[in-house]
Amino acid sequence: MGRWPLLLTSIFLGMGIAWAQNTSYQLDPGWQPPAEAANRANPLATQPGLAAGGKKLFTRNCVECHDQEGTGLVKKHAADFQLDVVQAQSDGTLFWKITNGNPDRGMPSFSNLPELQRWQLVLYLRTLRPAATQAHASMPRPNGGGPTTLPKPR
Amino acid sequence: MRSFRFLLVLLMGAWPTSRALGQESPYFITYDHHLEEPGNLEIETSSTMGVPRDGQHFFIAPYTELEYGVSGRWTSELYLEGQTTSGDSTIFTGWRLENRFRPFAREHRINPVLYFEYENLNQGSRIEKEIVGNDSAEADPNAEARKIRAHELETKLILSSTAHDWNLAGNFIVEKNLSQDEGFEFGYALGISRPLATLASGNNCHLCRENFNAGLELYGGLGSTDDFGFHATSHYLAPAVSWQITDNASLRFSVGAGLTHLSSPALIRIGYSYEIRGFGSKLSRMFGGK
Repeated sequence: MGRWPLLLTSIFLGMGIAWAQNTSYQLDPGWQPPAEAANRANPLATQPGLAAGGKKLFTRNCVECHDQEGTGLVKKHAADFQLDVVQAQSDGTLFWKITNGNPDRGMPSFSNLPELQRWQLVLYLRTLRPAATQAHASMPRPNGGGPTTLPKPR
Repeated sequence: MRSFRFLLVLLMGAWPTSRALGQESPYFITYDHHLEEPGNLEIETSSTMGVPRDGQHFFIAPYTELEYGVSGRWTSELYLEGQTTSGDSTIFTGWRLENRFRPFAREHRINPVLYFEYENLNQGSRIEKEIVGNDSAEADPNAEARKIRAHELETKLILSSTAHDWNLAGNFIVEKNLSQDEGFEFGYALGISRPLATLASGNNCHLCRENFNAGLELYGGLGSTDDFGFHATSHYLAPAVSWQITDNASLRFSVGAGLTHLSSPALIRIGYSYEIRGFGSKLSRMFGGK
Protein backbone atom coordinates (compact mmCIF):
# COMPACT_ATOMS: atom_id res chain seq x y z
CA MET A 1 0.00 0.00 0.00
CA GLY A 2 3.07 2.28 0.25
CA ARG A 3 2.86 5.80 1.64
CA TRP A 4 -0.57 6.85 0.54
CA PRO A 5 -2.39 6.11 3.85
CA LEU A 6 0.10 8.36 5.68
CA LEU A 7 -0.25 11.01 2.98
CA LEU A 8 -4.05 10.78 3.21
CA THR A 9 -3.90 11.20 6.99
CA SER A 10 -1.65 14.24 6.71
CA ILE A 11 -3.92 15.85 4.11
CA PHE A 12 -7.05 15.27 6.23
CA LEU A 13 -5.45 16.63 9.40
CA GLY A 14 -3.94 19.60 7.60
CA MET A 15 -7.21 20.49 5.90
CA GLY A 16 -9.02 19.98 9.18
CA ILE A 17 -6.89 22.43 11.10
CA ALA A 18 -7.06 25.00 8.32
CA TRP A 19 -10.84 24.71 7.88
CA ALA A 20 -11.61 25.04 11.58
CA GLN A 21 -10.53 28.64 11.65
CA ASN A 22 -13.13 31.35 11.18
CA THR A 23 -11.60 34.15 9.19
CA SER A 24 -14.42 36.69 9.47
CA TYR A 25 -17.74 37.04 11.24
CA GLN A 26 -20.82 38.62 9.78
CA LEU A 27 -24.41 38.43 10.89
CA ASP A 28 -26.08 35.75 8.85
CA PRO A 29 -29.39 37.03 7.47
CA GLY A 30 -30.27 33.48 6.45
CA TRP A 31 -30.11 32.22 10.04
CA GLN A 32 -33.70 32.88 11.00
CA PRO A 33 -36.22 30.52 12.56
CA PRO A 34 -39.63 29.76 11.12
CA ALA A 35 -42.36 31.95 12.62
CA GLU A 36 -43.73 29.09 14.70
CA ALA A 37 -40.36 28.56 16.38
CA ALA A 38 -39.76 32.30 16.87
CA ASN A 39 -43.09 32.64 18.65
CA ARG A 40 -42.44 29.95 21.24
CA ALA A 41 -42.46 31.26 24.79
CA ASN A 42 -39.92 30.21 27.37
CA PRO A 43 -41.67 27.69 29.66
CA LEU A 44 -39.26 28.68 32.44
CA ALA A 45 -39.87 32.41 32.15
CA THR A 46 -41.69 32.51 35.47
CA GLN A 47 -38.77 30.79 37.25
CA PRO A 48 -35.85 33.23 36.91
CA GLY A 49 -33.94 31.39 39.62
CA LEU A 50 -33.26 28.67 37.06
CA ALA A 51 -30.96 31.08 35.23
CA ALA A 52 -28.27 29.96 37.69
CA GLY A 53 -28.32 26.55 36.03
CA GLY A 54 -28.23 28.37 32.70
CA LYS A 55 -25.08 30.14 33.78
CA LYS A 56 -23.42 26.82 34.53
CA LEU A 57 -24.42 25.53 31.10
CA PHE A 58 -23.18 28.75 29.53
CA THR A 59 -19.79 28.34 31.20
CA ARG A 60 -19.58 24.76 30.04
CA ASN A 61 -20.75 25.21 26.48
CA CYS A 62 -20.55 28.82 25.34
CA VAL A 63 -17.66 30.65 27.03
CA GLU A 64 -15.14 29.17 24.64
CA CYS A 65 -16.46 31.47 21.88
CA HIS A 66 -18.76 34.00 23.56
CA ASP A 67 -16.57 34.83 26.57
CA GLN A 68 -17.59 34.81 30.23
CA GLU A 69 -19.56 38.08 29.92
CA GLY A 70 -21.19 37.00 26.68
CA THR A 71 -19.53 39.79 24.71
CA GLY A 72 -18.19 37.39 22.11
CA LEU A 73 -14.53 36.77 21.41
CA VAL A 74 -13.28 38.77 18.45
CA LYS A 75 -10.92 36.02 17.42
CA LYS A 76 -13.89 33.64 17.27
CA HIS A 77 -16.07 36.16 15.44
CA ALA A 78 -18.79 35.19 17.92
CA ALA A 79 -21.96 37.16 18.64
CA ASP A 80 -22.05 39.69 21.47
CA PHE A 81 -25.11 38.84 23.60
CA GLN A 82 -25.11 42.29 25.17
CA LEU A 83 -25.93 43.94 21.86
CA ASP A 84 -29.47 45.17 21.34
CA VAL A 85 -29.64 43.35 18.04
CA VAL A 86 -29.27 40.07 19.95
CA GLN A 87 -31.39 40.94 22.97
CA ALA A 88 -34.21 42.15 20.71
CA GLN A 89 -34.63 38.62 19.41
CA SER A 90 -37.44 36.59 20.93
CA ASP A 91 -36.87 33.78 23.41
CA GLY A 92 -38.10 31.36 20.76
CA THR A 93 -35.53 32.67 18.27
CA LEU A 94 -32.65 32.28 20.72
CA PHE A 95 -33.86 28.78 21.63
CA TRP A 96 -34.06 27.82 17.94
CA LYS A 97 -30.54 29.15 17.32
CA ILE A 98 -29.11 27.22 20.27
CA THR A 99 -30.92 24.08 19.11
CA ASN A 100 -29.97 24.24 15.44
CA GLY A 101 -26.67 26.06 15.52
CA ASN A 102 -25.23 27.58 12.39
CA PRO A 103 -22.55 25.05 11.50
CA ASP A 104 -21.42 26.82 8.37
CA ARG A 105 -20.52 29.85 10.52
CA GLY A 106 -18.91 27.88 13.34
CA MET A 107 -21.86 27.78 15.76
CA PRO A 108 -22.54 24.15 16.74
CA SER A 109 -25.95 22.69 17.44
CA PHE A 110 -26.75 22.05 21.09
CA SER A 111 -29.70 19.80 20.46
CA ASN A 112 -27.89 17.22 22.60
CA LEU A 113 -28.80 19.30 25.64
CA PRO A 114 -32.23 18.52 27.11
CA GLU A 115 -34.88 20.98 25.96
CA LEU A 116 -35.33 22.55 29.40
CA GLN A 117 -31.61 23.15 29.69
CA ARG A 118 -31.68 25.03 26.39
CA TRP A 119 -34.47 27.20 27.81
CA GLN A 120 -32.30 27.72 30.91
CA LEU A 121 -29.59 29.03 28.60
CA VAL A 122 -32.09 31.49 27.12
CA LEU A 123 -32.98 32.60 30.65
CA TYR A 124 -29.33 33.25 31.38
CA LEU A 125 -28.68 35.05 28.09
CA ARG A 126 -31.35 37.56 29.13
CA THR A 127 -29.26 38.47 32.16
CA LEU A 128 -26.28 39.39 29.99
CA ARG A 129 -27.64 42.71 28.77
CA PRO A 130 -25.77 45.81 29.94
CA ALA A 131 -27.02 47.25 33.23
CA ALA A 132 -28.50 50.36 31.55
CA THR A 133 -30.89 48.32 29.47
CA GLN A 134 -31.96 46.00 32.27
CA ALA A 135 -34.23 48.76 33.59
CA HIS A 136 -36.42 48.08 30.56
CA ALA A 137 -36.34 44.36 31.05
CA SER A 138 -39.94 44.08 32.14
CA MET A 139 -41.12 45.33 28.75
CA PRO A 140 -42.45 42.55 26.54
CA ARG A 141 -40.32 41.69 23.53
CA PRO A 142 -41.70 41.10 20.06
CA ASN A 143 -42.48 37.60 18.86
CA GLY A 144 -43.24 35.92 22.11
CA GLY A 145 -40.37 36.96 24.34
CA GLY A 146 -41.32 36.26 27.94
CA PRO A 147 -41.11 38.48 31.00
CA THR A 148 -37.53 39.10 32.00
CA THR A 149 -37.32 40.13 35.63
CA LEU A 150 -34.06 38.25 35.89
CA PRO A 151 -31.10 38.50 38.23
CA LYS A 152 -28.17 40.64 37.18
CA PRO A 153 -25.08 38.87 35.97
CA ARG A 154 -22.38 38.48 38.55
CA MET B 1 10.41 -5.32 20.97
CA ARG B 2 7.66 -7.17 22.79
CA SER B 3 8.06 -4.99 25.90
CA PHE B 4 7.86 -1.88 23.71
CA ARG B 5 4.55 -3.04 22.26
CA PHE B 6 3.23 -3.83 25.72
CA LEU B 7 4.20 -0.33 26.88
CA LEU B 8 2.48 1.17 23.85
CA VAL B 9 -0.74 -0.68 24.60
CA LEU B 10 -0.53 0.33 28.27
CA LEU B 11 -0.06 3.97 27.32
CA MET B 12 -3.03 3.78 25.00
CA GLY B 13 -5.07 2.49 27.88
CA ALA B 14 -3.90 5.12 30.33
CA TRP B 15 -4.17 8.18 28.11
CA PRO B 16 -7.10 10.35 29.15
CA THR B 17 -9.93 10.41 26.62
CA SER B 18 -12.89 12.66 26.22
CA ARG B 19 -16.22 13.60 24.93
CA ALA B 20 -17.57 16.69 26.53
CA LEU B 21 -19.67 19.78 26.07
CA GLY B 22 -23.35 19.32 26.40
CA GLN B 23 -24.63 15.92 27.35
CA GLU B 24 -22.27 13.10 26.62
CA SER B 25 -23.83 10.24 24.68
CA PRO B 26 -23.45 6.87 26.42
CA TYR B 27 -23.05 5.00 23.12
CA PHE B 28 -19.89 3.07 22.33
CA ILE B 29 -20.95 1.62 18.99
CA THR B 30 -23.92 3.60 17.77
CA TYR B 31 -23.32 7.03 16.29
CA ASP B 32 -25.86 9.82 16.62
CA HIS B 33 -25.88 13.04 14.59
CA HIS B 34 -23.91 15.17 17.03
CA LEU B 35 -20.43 16.03 15.83
CA GLU B 36 -17.41 17.44 17.61
CA GLU B 37 -17.48 21.23 18.03
CA PRO B 38 -15.33 22.98 15.40
CA GLY B 39 -11.72 23.43 16.46
CA ASN B 40 -12.02 21.16 19.52
CA LEU B 41 -9.90 18.06 20.00
CA GLU B 42 -11.20 15.17 22.04
CA ILE B 43 -8.80 12.54 23.29
CA GLU B 44 -10.44 9.33 24.31
CA THR B 45 -9.10 6.09 25.64
CA SER B 46 -11.40 3.12 25.75
CA SER B 47 -11.02 -0.57 26.29
CA THR B 48 -13.08 -3.52 25.16
CA MET B 49 -12.85 -6.58 27.36
CA GLY B 50 -14.17 -9.86 26.06
CA VAL B 51 -15.39 -12.60 28.34
CA PRO B 52 -14.42 -15.74 26.44
CA ARG B 53 -16.48 -18.63 25.20
CA ASP B 54 -15.34 -22.15 26.09
CA GLY B 55 -11.91 -22.81 24.64
CA GLN B 56 -11.06 -19.15 24.15
CA HIS B 57 -9.10 -16.66 26.24
CA PHE B 58 -10.01 -13.40 27.96
CA PHE B 59 -8.82 -10.40 26.00
CA ILE B 60 -8.54 -6.68 26.54
CA ALA B 61 -8.35 -4.35 23.57
CA PRO B 62 -7.52 -0.71 24.39
CA TYR B 63 -7.76 2.03 21.82
CA THR B 64 -7.12 5.74 21.68
CA GLU B 65 -9.25 8.12 19.66
CA LEU B 66 -8.24 11.60 18.57
CA GLU B 67 -11.42 13.32 17.45
CA TYR B 68 -11.23 16.75 15.85
CA GLY B 69 -14.04 19.08 14.81
CA VAL B 70 -12.88 20.13 11.38
CA SER B 71 -15.97 22.26 10.79
CA GLY B 72 -19.51 22.42 12.00
CA ARG B 73 -20.42 19.65 9.60
CA TRP B 74 -17.26 17.55 9.48
CA THR B 75 -15.57 15.57 12.24
CA SER B 76 -12.42 13.53 11.72
CA GLU B 77 -11.04 10.82 14.02
CA LEU B 78 -7.82 8.87 14.21
CA TYR B 79 -7.78 5.56 16.11
CA LEU B 80 -4.79 3.62 17.41
CA GLU B 81 -5.55 0.21 18.82
CA GLY B 82 -3.94 -2.76 20.48
CA GLN B 83 -4.85 -6.02 22.13
CA THR B 84 -3.72 -8.34 24.90
CA THR B 85 -4.94 -11.90 25.14
CA SER B 86 -4.62 -13.90 28.34
CA GLY B 87 -2.00 -16.63 27.96
CA ASP B 88 -0.89 -15.14 24.66
CA SER B 89 0.78 -11.80 23.88
CA THR B 90 0.26 -8.06 23.49
CA ILE B 91 0.20 -6.62 20.01
CA PHE B 92 -0.46 -3.35 18.21
CA THR B 93 -3.33 -4.09 15.88
CA GLY B 94 -3.47 -1.03 13.64
CA TRP B 95 -5.12 2.32 13.00
CA ARG B 96 -8.24 3.81 11.51
CA LEU B 97 -9.12 7.18 10.04
CA GLU B 98 -12.78 8.06 10.24
CA ASN B 99 -14.73 11.00 8.86
CA ARG B 100 -18.33 12.01 9.50
CA PHE B 101 -20.26 14.55 7.48
CA ARG B 102 -23.61 16.20 8.14
CA PRO B 103 -25.28 16.99 4.83
CA PHE B 104 -27.89 19.30 6.36
CA ALA B 105 -27.17 22.36 8.45
CA ARG B 106 -30.37 22.39 10.51
CA GLU B 107 -31.99 19.93 12.89
CA HIS B 108 -34.66 17.75 11.31
CA ARG B 109 -36.98 15.06 12.56
CA ILE B 110 -34.43 12.53 11.28
CA ASN B 111 -30.86 13.74 10.87
CA PRO B 112 -28.59 11.83 8.47
CA VAL B 113 -24.82 11.69 8.82
CA LEU B 114 -22.48 10.10 6.28
CA TYR B 115 -19.55 8.11 7.64
CA PHE B 116 -16.40 7.00 5.82
CA GLU B 117 -13.51 5.12 7.39
CA TYR B 118 -10.23 3.66 6.22
CA GLU B 119 -8.80 0.86 8.37
CA ASN B 120 -5.28 -0.51 8.35
CA LEU B 121 -5.55 -3.41 10.77
CA ASN B 122 -4.31 -6.88 11.36
CA GLN B 123 -6.38 -9.92 12.16
CA GLY B 124 -5.73 -9.46 15.90
CA SER B 125 -8.00 -6.39 16.11
CA ARG B 126 -10.55 -7.00 18.86
CA ILE B 127 -11.91 -3.58 19.82
CA GLU B 128 -15.23 -4.60 18.26
CA LYS B 129 -16.00 -1.02 17.29
CA GLU B 130 -18.40 -2.40 14.79
CA ILE B 131 -19.73 -5.90 14.29
CA VAL B 132 -20.08 -6.83 10.62
CA GLY B 133 -20.30 -9.89 8.43
CA ASN B 134 -20.30 -13.47 9.65
CA ASP B 135 -18.41 -14.84 12.63
CA SER B 136 -16.49 -18.01 13.30
CA ALA B 137 -15.89 -19.74 16.61
CA GLU B 138 -12.12 -19.74 16.16
CA ALA B 139 -9.62 -17.02 16.96
CA ASP B 140 -6.04 -17.21 15.71
CA PRO B 141 -3.13 -16.84 18.16
CA ASN B 142 -1.72 -13.31 18.14
CA ALA B 143 1.52 -14.43 16.51
CA GLU B 144 -0.47 -15.63 13.52
CA ALA B 145 -3.13 -12.95 13.57
CA ARG B 146 -0.67 -10.04 13.47
CA LYS B 147 0.78 -11.30 10.19
CA ILE B 148 -2.52 -11.06 8.38
CA ARG B 149 -3.05 -7.41 7.51
CA ALA B 150 -6.20 -5.94 6.05
CA HIS B 151 -6.93 -2.64 4.39
CA GLU B 152 -10.62 -1.96 4.71
CA LEU B 153 -13.09 0.71 3.76
CA GLU B 154 -16.17 1.15 5.88
CA THR B 155 -19.20 3.33 5.32
CA LYS B 156 -22.18 3.97 7.54
CA LEU B 157 -25.48 5.65 7.07
CA ILE B 158 -26.25 7.25 10.42
CA LEU B 159 -29.82 8.30 11.12
CA SER B 160 -30.54 10.03 14.39
CA SER B 161 -33.46 11.78 15.97
CA THR B 162 -34.09 13.68 19.19
CA ALA B 163 -37.58 13.77 20.62
CA HIS B 164 -38.63 14.78 24.12
CA ASP B 165 -35.00 14.51 25.26
CA TRP B 166 -34.73 10.93 23.98
CA ASN B 167 -32.16 10.19 21.33
CA LEU B 168 -32.90 7.44 18.85
CA ALA B 169 -30.14 6.45 16.47
CA GLY B 170 -29.69 3.76 13.85
CA ASN B 171 -26.60 2.93 11.81
CA PHE B 172 -26.39 0.72 8.73
CA ILE B 173 -22.83 -0.45 8.07
CA VAL B 174 -21.15 -1.64 4.86
CA GLU B 175 -17.53 -2.78 4.96
CA LYS B 176 -15.21 -3.85 2.17
CA ASN B 177 -11.91 -5.63 2.70
CA LEU B 178 -9.55 -4.36 0.02
CA SER B 179 -6.95 -7.01 0.79
CA GLN B 180 -9.12 -10.06 0.23
CA ASP B 181 -12.07 -10.86 -1.94
CA GLU B 182 -14.72 -11.25 0.76
CA GLY B 183 -17.45 -9.30 -0.93
CA PHE B 184 -19.20 -6.62 1.10
CA GLU B 185 -19.98 -7.20 4.78
CA PHE B 186 -22.93 -5.67 6.56
CA GLY B 187 -23.85 -4.74 10.10
CA TYR B 188 -26.14 -2.55 12.15
CA ALA B 189 -26.26 -0.63 15.41
CA LEU B 190 -29.30 0.79 17.16
CA GLY B 191 -29.34 3.02 20.20
CA ILE B 192 -31.69 4.84 22.50
CA SER B 193 -30.63 7.15 25.31
CA ARG B 194 -31.82 9.89 27.60
CA PRO B 195 -30.28 12.14 30.26
CA LEU B 196 -31.36 11.27 33.80
CA ALA B 197 -32.32 14.88 34.55
CA THR B 198 -33.46 17.60 32.20
CA LEU B 199 -32.85 20.69 34.34
CA ALA B 200 -29.41 21.95 35.32
CA SER B 201 -28.89 22.89 38.92
CA GLY B 202 -27.04 26.06 39.81
CA ASN B 203 -24.47 24.13 41.81
CA ASN B 204 -21.32 22.52 40.57
CA CYS B 205 -22.12 18.94 41.43
CA HIS B 206 -20.40 15.77 40.29
CA LEU B 207 -22.77 12.97 41.18
CA CYS B 208 -26.09 14.67 40.50
CA ARG B 209 -28.45 13.14 37.96
CA GLU B 210 -27.99 15.86 35.37
CA ASN B 211 -24.44 14.59 34.76
CA PHE B 212 -25.60 11.11 33.79
CA ASN B 213 -27.00 9.81 30.55
CA ALA B 214 -28.27 6.25 30.20
CA GLY B 215 -29.03 4.23 27.13
CA LEU B 216 -29.34 0.87 25.45
CA GLU B 217 -27.54 -0.37 22.35
CA LEU B 218 -28.26 -3.30 20.07
CA TYR B 219 -25.65 -4.16 17.46
CA GLY B 220 -24.50 -7.05 15.33
CA GLY B 221 -23.58 -8.43 11.94
CA LEU B 222 -25.83 -8.94 8.96
CA GLY B 223 -23.63 -11.28 6.93
CA SER B 224 -22.13 -10.45 3.58
CA THR B 225 -23.01 -10.36 -0.09
CA ASP B 226 -22.31 -14.12 -0.11
CA ASP B 227 -24.52 -14.87 2.89
CA PHE B 228 -26.76 -11.97 3.86
CA GLY B 229 -28.85 -12.31 7.01
CA PHE B 230 -28.51 -13.43 10.60
CA HIS B 231 -26.89 -16.82 9.88
CA ALA B 232 -23.59 -17.25 11.79
CA THR B 233 -23.52 -13.72 13.12
CA SER B 234 -22.85 -12.07 16.49
CA HIS B 235 -25.29 -9.75 18.22
CA TYR B 236 -25.15 -7.85 21.49
CA LEU B 237 -27.59 -6.01 23.71
CA ALA B 238 -25.73 -3.46 25.80
CA PRO B 239 -26.99 -1.09 28.50
CA ALA B 240 -24.67 1.91 28.69
CA VAL B 241 -24.18 4.92 30.91
CA SER B 242 -22.10 8.08 30.65
CA TRP B 243 -20.99 10.36 33.43
CA GLN B 244 -19.91 13.95 32.82
CA ILE B 245 -17.21 14.16 35.48
CA THR B 246 -16.15 17.74 34.76
CA ASP B 247 -16.81 20.28 32.03
CA ASN B 248 -14.09 18.62 29.95
CA ALA B 249 -14.01 15.02 31.06
CA SER B 250 -16.42 12.15 30.95
CA LEU B 251 -16.55 8.45 31.63
CA ARG B 252 -18.62 5.79 29.87
CA PHE B 253 -19.37 2.21 30.75
CA SER B 254 -21.26 -0.57 29.03
CA VAL B 255 -21.80 -4.30 29.41
CA GLY B 256 -22.96 -6.04 26.28
CA ALA B 257 -24.60 -9.43 26.54
CA GLY B 258 -24.00 -11.80 23.64
CA LEU B 259 -27.25 -12.92 22.04
CA THR B 260 -26.09 -15.75 19.77
CA HIS B 261 -23.86 -18.80 20.21
CA LEU B 262 -21.12 -17.11 18.18
CA SER B 263 -21.16 -13.93 20.29
CA SER B 264 -18.82 -13.54 23.25
CA PRO B 265 -20.84 -14.11 26.43
CA ALA B 266 -20.14 -10.49 27.40
CA LEU B 267 -18.29 -7.46 26.06
CA ILE B 268 -17.38 -4.96 28.76
CA ARG B 269 -16.47 -1.50 27.58
CA ILE B 270 -15.09 1.45 29.49
CA GLY B 271 -13.98 4.80 28.12
CA TYR B 272 -12.59 8.03 29.50
CA SER B 273 -12.43 11.16 27.43
CA TYR B 274 -10.98 14.64 27.75
CA GLU B 275 -11.70 17.57 25.49
CA ILE B 276 -9.26 20.33 24.59
CA ARG B 277 -11.32 23.31 23.53
CA GLY B 278 -10.02 25.62 20.87
CA PHE B 279 -7.24 23.19 19.98
CA GLY B 280 -7.19 24.34 16.36
CA SER B 281 -6.81 28.00 17.36
CA LYS B 282 -4.04 27.18 19.82
CA LEU B 283 -2.19 25.16 17.22
CA SER B 284 -2.65 27.89 14.66
CA ARG B 285 -1.21 30.50 17.05
CA MET B 286 1.82 28.29 17.64
CA PHE B 287 2.59 28.63 13.94
CA GLY B 288 2.04 32.37 13.79
CA GLY B 289 -1.69 32.46 13.06
CA LYS B 290 -4.00 35.04 14.67
